[in-house]
Parts: sequence; structure tokens; C-alpha cells
Amino acid sequence: MLTRRYFLRSSAIALAGIGTAPSWLLRAAAQGSNKPKILVVVFQRGAADGLNIMVPFFEKLYYAMRPTIAMPEPGKDNGAIDLDGRFGLHPSLQQLKPLWDSGQLAIVEAAGSPDPSRSHFDAQDYMESGTPGRTGADGWLNRALPGAGSGASPLRAIAMGTQLPRTLRGSREAVAVNGLEQFQVRNPNAASILESMYATTADTKLMSSGKETFEAVKIIESINRIPYTPANGAQYPGNDFGRGLQQIARLIKADVGVEAAFADIGGWDHHSNEAPQLSNLLQPYGNSLAAFARDMGDRMEDIVLVTMSEFGRTAREDGNAGTDHGHGNVMMVLGGPVRGGKVYGRWPGLEPEQLYEKRDLAVTTDFRDVLAELVSRHLGQKTEPVFPGYKSGEPFGLLKT
Amino acid sequence: MKRLKYALSVAALLVLAGAFLANATGRFDQKLSVDKQAIHVLNRLTFGPRPGAVEQVRRAGVGKWIDQQLHPEKIAENPVLEAKLKALETLRLPMWKIMDKYGAPPPGTIIRPPSQLALNSLSQQQQSRLRNGSVEERRNTLASLDPDKRRLVLAAAPPQMLEGLPEDLQQEAAKARQAEQEELQKERRKQMPPLNELLTQEQIRAARTGTVEEKLALFNSFDPQKREQVMRALGPQPFSDLPELRREAMIVTQPQQLVNSELMENKLCRAIYSNRQLEEVLVDFWMNHFNVFNGKGQDRLYLTSFERDAIRPYVFGHFKDMLLATARHPAMLFYLDNWQSQAPREDSPFPAEVRRPGLNENYGRELMELHTLGVDGGYTQQDVIAVARAFTGWTIYDLQKYAEFQFNPAGHDRKEKIVLGHKLPAGRGEQDGLDVIDILSHHPSTARFISKKLAQRFVADDPPQALVDRMAATFTRTDGDLGAVLQTMFNSTEFLSEGAWQTKLKSPLEMVVSAVRALNADVTDTVALAQRIADLGEPLYGKLEPTGYPNTGDAWTNSASLLGRINFATALAGGQVPGVMVDISRFNFKDPTSVATGLLNMAPSPATLTAIEKGIREKEATPSLLTTLVMSSPDFQRR
Repeated sequence: MLTRRYFLRSSAIALAGIGTAPSWLLRAAAQGSNKPKILVVVFQRGAADGLNIMVPFFEKLYYAMRPTIAMPEPGKDNGAIDLDGRFGLHPSLQQLKPLWDSGQLAIVEAAGSPDPSRSHFDAQDYMESGTPGRTGADGWLNRALPGAGSGASPLRAIAMGTQLPRTLRGSREAVAVNGLEQFQVRNPNAASILESMYATTADTKLMSSGKETFEAVKIIESINRIPYTPANGAQYPGNDFGRGLQQIARLIKADVGVEAAFADIGGWDHHSNEAPQLSNLLQPYGNSLAAFARDMGDRMEDIVLVTMSEFGRTAREDGNAGTDHGHGNVMMVLGGPVRGGKVYGRWPGLEPEQLYEKRDLAVTTDFRDVLAELVSRHLGQKTEPVFPGYKSGEPFGLLKT
Repeated sequence: MKRLKYALSVAALLVLAGAFLANATGRFDQKLSVDKQAIHVLNRLTFGPRPGAVEQVRRAGVGKWIDQQLHPEKIAENPVLEAKLKALETLRLPMWKIMDKYGAPPPGTIIRPPSQLALNSLSQQQQSRLRNGSVEERRNTLASLDPDKRRLVLAAAPPQMLEGLPEDLQQEAAKARQAEQEELQKERRKQMPPLNELLTQEQIRAARTGTVEEKLALFNSFDPQKREQVMRALGPQPFSDLPELRREAMIVTQPQQLVNSELMENKLCRAIYSNRQLEEVLVDFWMNHFNVFNGKGQDRLYLTSFERDAIRPYVFGHFKDMLLATARHPAMLFYLDNWQSQAPREDSPFPAEVRRPGLNENYGRELMELHTLGVDGGYTQQDVIAVARAFTGWTIYDLQKYAEFQFNPAGHDRKEKIVLGHKLPAGRGEQDGLDVIDILSHHPSTARFISKKLAQRFVADDPPQALVDRMAATFTRTDGDLGAVLQTMFNSTEFLSEGAWQTKLKSPLEMVVSAVRALNADVTDTVALAQRIADLGEPLYGKLEPTGYPNTGDAWTNSASLLGRINFATALAGGQVPGVMVDISRFNFKDPTSVATGLLNMAPSPATLTAIEKGIREKEATPSLLTTLVMSSPDFQRR
């Protein structure tokens, strides 16, 4: 099998780079082609406007409430890309259409948090904690990984950027990677001394992040030695998000034990002049997701990528051709195991009495319904510790059996 | 649901209370030794001690030194700083002058393609047919134009305008596009000749990579026109070691960037050199509290005045005055969209067919959530809307030219509003917003929220509630006198306690500046330093979200941040940060303990010292390696 051959080749390189083989790598090697399942989480910070991302073009009210910013119906100039006769993708997401057609992309409509907060920062904290209404000490994705302990890869959970997001904070190892090239100790004389310094320091917080860092540095050093060209002609946009997804792809393909990955993209808070800004942001966003899927190729069979944003935006446009803070939103689920080409969730409607507080798209699907299914069926973990106090209902069947 | 939420929050409170008790009983009532006190106040009230500073504070007495910092007008400013700031002209310009001088792109850099002008010169009907019409309509419209005009219009036509048109028109369009590209290329070349047409190979080398003297000699040999042409071709990049030339290059290539670039330089120079350190720490704190993002359009030009006129004058003054100054400042009006928020459309006195702006909630919400009450401060969605309505009409007079606050009565919502239970009667104007500022700045939630945030910056990530309460009481008693609130905090047992000692993790800005100060480095240029801080995750004036950067340490304890710090320490100690001269010869032949003590102002932790001593046995312990190791250590990341 092609993937197995690739795995052995890159593992051999990784081994050569490190010297002695760490236990997680031997364990991974022993598993052979039975690769770990990987969950990739994408967070759109700033409350993306789901109603203009997945356009409900069958709703007359959608056009009445958004006289200047509604996306035209399919077939019209700059019109939505029809998916099922009711919903259509924003035209800037055109590169996602083939993924829908091939059944890799599913959409969950009117998803979100049951918590009513319209504060970006509270809502992000709650969603990342996996506990609506409450900010926890650690994040749901960290809890979704098997318990920490020997044998886990230091790169089992990775976040792109200069900060470790709340989603990934917690007792399991998780590292923030702000560029693979920068992920090194540039002073070779200092590296080993600092490693032992951080291993023995009484500063417990810095000790744990130091330990993770120096282990990860060695692996990434060996990955950096091999130049990377995205497969299948995939072209990532040059923004931070595109670069981040490319690095996630590179780390996954290097078979260094990645189980969870996180990337975020900001700039969705379009209170005014939304249409051009949203287009400009969605284009590289969609192209990045599409490039990732293309680059991963067959490996998408082991990967599920899920997107979320802290809440949606008002159903009506505001006074400045923008939208204010709302409630329900759209989530996308992408990957080989996904039963895609389908819009999931119950559409609540846009009549005044159907809207949340008469202004926002209602939430008919708790975001945890979606995530719980991915945690249990894709990662094979129990959901109770991941979403404490939450009873998930009947699964959607988002994933193939 | 509601009951469950309540139960959860009670549980969370109990957990918090438990954690707090554990802290409070042990440490926040345990006073620091006199030796530690001087180091502690320097770590908290400054951007890090310079060599010799601890001695000075001890000599002056900790209490007296704090008192001086609270009255910066009594501290003589560092002449080195004054000399550096003198060169930064934009810092002193009024807003209209900044707009006038730096607001427009440099002449000659924008060449309007004639094709675009031709397309725009068509009638509305023609344009609409070309953009939205059927193939038939588009073809007929094109056919009706005279050939010269048609060629130009075709050159500007976007792909969807050409879709489905016959082959000959498509070809004509492709040809016209190419011809225009070549024409523009020629024009650009004339206005901006490439470097190899202006200079010899040797001159290019000197300009790009020559010594400071070579560069100066070269540029002084040009006449003004040539000098400008060369500058335009080179851009500011080669002049990292020649700030005056870089400034010149920026003016001809990117004048708008110069304004924000000087503001960053101002911030770093003051942080590094000012004797009025507490004032600088506070300006940083409040700029972050009232965050404005330099990447949002005009704001990169407005920020200079925002910091100078709306923040700096009030950091020891009354909170209400600062709040009002930020509410009226174009930087904030633009950033949180209030400048275009007007009475809701259904209340508009204008006929429906006249399109005009309506209500925007952005500022109303963040004003309460982030600037005053805090997210749990007790406001509702109805309050958000009422506050937004109260501020309708608070706008900017001429964004591009004057950028001044203006109240526009025509955009104001004149109906009655209820804000947090206070009635704002109908029929008023600007007074609505002024009343809201008054209500919010006197609200008990604001006193608590501001006090807690200050205590987080100066005392601990989880400050003792008793301290926050006392600070909030001062805030309320003194009508929000920030100097008095600071005094309550600095005089508290908790501030000078073991509970606070070394518990704060330095932010990227604090880490970088404290390292520069600890080495007594001579900084001639701050561009590279600003870049380093950005790489560590805290680009100056570059936070997109209105929250500002985190006030607590969790955000900065991760791999990327740690590696960034280690690599910065390596570059700094190795003299590899352009514009920053370090002299570590004082560490020649010194042992690890003396180097560490010199940089930390106290003995290093046992783990740090042991690792260094063991590690350098087989290596040459150069001053640069020892400095790198100490500045990369956990000890140096704390303050």
C-alpha cells in the first residue's frame, strides 16, 4: 500500500534524525498501515456570517432582511453555488464544491451554542472549553485525546500560531508551532543546556511547556531536513491560515504521531461593509481547505476536519451594510470518513417568531452534537469527559459506518 | 437550563474561592524582604531594571521611588530619549496635518489605467448592461461604442463581462489588455526607473550592503531628483542602520506606513529609555485596554493622536475623562464602526428610497463588555441597543482630510432610551452619549472591572479579591481617580507580598524590552526589535480584536513563544539584532553566577545555575553564551 511505504520511508528519516527511537514512534511503526485517526479543528474567530457562507437562497425572507448584502440566487451574477436546491455556497468557496460533489464535505445548518452570550470572547472560551456558559481550565480537544502518558508523541496535538488555543490546553501534550522553520533552537551550544534547565526548573508551568518544546524540536528538525512539496498540485494561499494548514499537512504526512490539529483564522467581525470583506476572506479560506484536502489525498481517509465560529450574525443586515452579533451558524465537516454531500440539521426558518430573540438564526443543533459524534466515532473516545454534563442525542450519522 | 447554569456557576465560584483561600492564607499577607522589594517594584512599575537601578531604588527608598513614579512631571526626562524622539516628526503633528502630509499615497505611484477611466465614463445604463446583461445586451452595448473607446473598455473588462461573447471580441480584448499592460509598464519605468538604469553595479552594492559611511557618501553625491528616484527604487529596507535615510525612503515609497512606524519607534524608545517608566507601562496598559488595530484602514494614521491625545494625558487622571476622550476619538469611532452608526432605518425621517446608514451595535457592546462594565457587569442585549442608539451621530468629520470628532444631529436617534435602568429623555442629541459615559464610568461594575484588570497587570494573574475590593472602593470614592487607585494598590500588603513575587510571566514586549534594558544596549533603531516582538505573538498596535492582548500568563506559555524567546536572547546576546548595540564585555571572564546575578539582579534559581554550570563544562563559556542562557532561562521570563 502506498501509504504504508510512505510511512516507513518518513519514519526511517525521523529515526535517523533523532538517534534512538522514542517509544511512540516504535508503537506507531508497529501499527503499520493502521494509522491513527486525526481530527483537525478550524476556528473562525470573530463570528463568521453563516447566512452568507451557506446561503439559504430558497428563503424569500433572507432577501428581504438583507437588501444590500444577500448573496444572489444560483445562476445570477455572483450567485451562490447551488448544493441541494435550498442552500448554496458563497461563490468565493467555489473550490469546496468538488469536495461536496465527491461526498467528502457535509454541512450542518443552524448549529451553535445553547448559551445566549453575544460576547466574542466569552463565546469563544465556552466553545473551546466545550462547556457552554462556563470557561473551563482546559479545552475539549485536549480532553478528547487518550490520557497522557509514556508513549504519546510530543506532536500528538498541534496548534498553528504563536499561542496555544484554549481548545487544546490541558493535561495532554500540546504544542504551538509558529512556522516549522522557526521551530528550532538557533544556538546549538545552548540547546542541550536549556533542555536540562527546563526539565529541572521549579517553575512548573514553564517546565511542562519546556519539556514538550524540546522534544518536539528534535522531531521537527528532522522533518525540516526534507523539502516539502504539496502533493497532487495542491496550492495553498499565502496567508497565515493557508500556511498553517500546509504545515499541518506536512506534519501529518511525516507520520510523527499527530492526533489532533488546530488552526484559526480571524477577521470575521463584519459590522459594516460586509460583502467585499467577506468575499476577500472566504476566498483564501475555502482555497486553503480545498488545498489541504487535495494535498492529503488518500490520507483524508483517516482525517476529519471540522469548522466552527463562536456564534452567527444577525439575520437582518444592520445599518451599515454589515451584520451584528447573532446566534446560530453553520459548521462544515470534511474528510474521507464523512458522509458528505448533504446538509444536516433542522432549518429553523427566518420568520420573526422562528428567529432567536426575533433577530438571529436559532440554534437547532448543539455544536457538541457534531463534535461528540466525531469524538466517539472517529477518535473512538468516550464523550462524557470531553463534554461534561452533556447528553448527546441520536447521532446524525455524519460519518460512514 | 437556567437552573443548571446557576448551579454550575455556583460550583465554579466555590472552586475559585477555594483556590483563592489557599493562596491568600499562605502568601499574599507575607511581606517581601527589603532586598526583594526593590527588585519587585522595578519589575512591576518599569519595563525591567537597568544595571544599577536596584541600588538606586534602595537608596531612594521603595515608597519614595513609587511616589516619584506616580508623579512623572517631577522626574527629569532622559536626554537620550528626548534626542531620539526629536527626529520623529509625525508624533507632534495634529491629526489634520498628518492626514495632509502622509495620508495620500506618494505621487506617481498610482497610475490610473486609461481603460478603467473609459469604463467608468460610460453611462449608468451602459455600465449596468455590461456588468449584468445577457450576452446579447453586452454585445450590442459594445458594438455601440466607437472603436477606440471599445478597445479601452475591453481592456478593462473582467472575465464575467466577456463570458459567452464571440471569439473576435475575446481576441480584441486580450490584445487590448496586453497593449495597455505594456504601455503602463513603460510609464512606470519612466516614473520609477529600475536601479540598474540609475546606478553602477558598484553603487548598487554600496547602497544595498555598504557601510554606513559608503551609503551616506553615495546619497550625498546625488542631486535631489536622482536621490528620490534611487530611494524609490530601493525602498526603506537597506537603511536599517540609517534611520534618517530610511525615513526619506519611506516618505517616497510608503508615507502612510511612516506614521505608524514612528509611533512604534516612539513606544519602544520610551519603554527602553524613559525615566518615567510607570507612565509608559500605563500607556501600554490603557492602549491595550482601549485597543485599536493598525490594520483597519485609516486607523494606522489615527493611532498617533489616539495615544497622545486620548490615552497618555489621563493615565494618572480620571477614568471618565479617558473614556470620553476615547469615545470621541476618530481612531475608536472608526475601529468600532460608530462613525457610521445612525438612527435605526425605520425611525429615519428620510423617505425609504434614500439609502442611508442605520444602527451599528459594535461600539455599544464593546464599550460595556471591554471598556467599562466587563462581560458579567450586568447589561443586556436591550442595553447594547440602547447604548448604540445613544451614540448615533457621534461621527468623524471628513475621514481623509481633517479626521475630527463631529456630532451629526441628523443621524442621531432622538427617541427615548433606557440604559441600565436610567432614562434618557427623548428629543436630545449629543447629551445622550455623554450621559452614557457618565452612567458607565460611575457604575460599580466598572470600578471592579478596572481595578481587577490593573491588579492583574501589577500584582498577580489571580489577584486577591480583598485587594480588588479596596481598589474598587477607592475608584468609587475618588470619582475614578486612577492615580489614587494605583496608590491603593501599590500601598497594599498584597502588592509587596510573597504571593505576588515573580508570579507574572513577561509578555513578548516586556521580555524583549527588559532584555535590552538589562544589557544597557544602545538602540539606534527599533524596527528589528518591533519585528521580534511581532514574531513572538504581540505585534505592536497590531491586535485585530478589541480585547487587546491577554493580561495573564497562560497565553504566553507555549512552545512557539518559548522558542521565540530563546532565539531572541541568542540574537541579542550575539549582537545580531540590527540597530541594537550590546556590550557584554563586562561579563568577560565572569562565572555563571555573576553573569546571572548581573542580569537577574538576584541569584539564579538552583536549576538554572546547575544546568549552566554542568552544560558549559565541555564548552567555551563565552559571555555571549552565558548571556543567552540566562535570558532564555525560566527565571528571566518572570517578573
